[in-house]
Amino acid sequence: MRSLSLILASFALAHGHLSASTLEAEKFLKKAVTEVAQIADHSQNSSALAASVRPVLMNVISFELMTRRAVGPGWREFTEAQKKEATDLFATLIIRTYSSKFTPGEFPEITYKPAIVPAPGRVEIPTRILYRGSQYEVIYRQEDSVAWRITDVVIEGVSLIATYRTQFDSQFKQGGAPAVISALKKSVATPQ
Amino acid sequence: MKNTKLELSVGLFVVLGIAAIIYLTIQVGTGSMLSGDTYLIESRFANAGGLHSGSTVLLAGVTVGRVEGIRMESSDYSAIVTLRVLSTLRLPTDSMASIKTTGLIGDKFVSLSPGADDTYLEPGSRITLTESAVDLESLIGKMAFGSVEKEKAQQDPK
Repeated sequence: MRSLSLILASFALAHGHLSASTLEAEKFLKKAVTEVAQIADHSQNSSALAASVRPVLMNVISFELMTRRAVGPGWREFTEAQKKEATDLFATLIIRTYSSKFTPGEFPEITYKPAIVPAPGRVEIPTRILYRGSQYEVIYRQEDSVAWRITDVVIEGVSLIATYRTQFDSQFKQGGAPAVISALKKSVATPQ
Repeated sequence: MKNTKLELSVGLFVVLGIAAIIYLTIQVGTGSMLSGDTYLIESRFANAGGLHSGSTVLLAGVTVGRVEGIRMESSDYSAIVTLRVLSTLRLPTDSMASIKTTGLIGDKFVSLSPGADDTYLEPGSRITLTESAVDLESLIGKMAFGSVEKEKAQQDPK
């Protein structure tokens, strides 16, 4: 009987901790999305938006983890300098690509669905975004490393990391880390 | 006496043949015809539509396993797909599993892409970075509804 109550108490504690962390992750995401949407609302054009939204996104998205996962197994062969360069370029590419999708003055309507905890320290928050008459199913994957950070975005079932991993993997197999960095540089240099 | 011996041999041969056919049918049906030792890992998908027990698991286009089973996680209504993969395959913990289709309307399969972590997935562990099957019909539907909204916006500019 005592062991049963212990088991129940530990389950309640674990469940409580889970709910608290999930709520924290949800709160973090809502704050970040609102902040970005407000900046987007006040920006004149996409290049101005990319510049003004960068400091916010650097704090809410773990670009280092994203770049590492997007590159895949080849990441282990990157030097520290190459890792830093690739992360900076990848962050610029992502921010620029997604900034260009926003139209100043258009505010997205976001509906948050109940969060899912696929593993300890990981939370997935499914959302439905209504933007300029179109609906999109977007899942934000977050991880609690030092604080909650977005580590992947899944739009209509397509993962950002998986998409880039396919591309970077073939680049890496052709010419190693320099090929990945040069492909990133090329993408960043190409006007939108 | 001689005839009885011959009949017995033929009977035994036929029984063995039938047993072999049954064994092969079961093995091919469950997709467990993998050479060498294997282990099980799980992956969680929001939608495992089109996937079935015995579906192929590919990595870099090479068959490295089969789908062992699919069940539903009642807590969050997600699909848990159990994969049987070759024990020679060591997958980093941040590996991804995606449900893909052979061609446009072909069979569904699980595609694995290894990650960059230094730690590896243990037997029985779960891949959480997944991409579910893309629902082409709903995407086409959204495109159709999207175009209606766009036309409406064009007709009624602010």
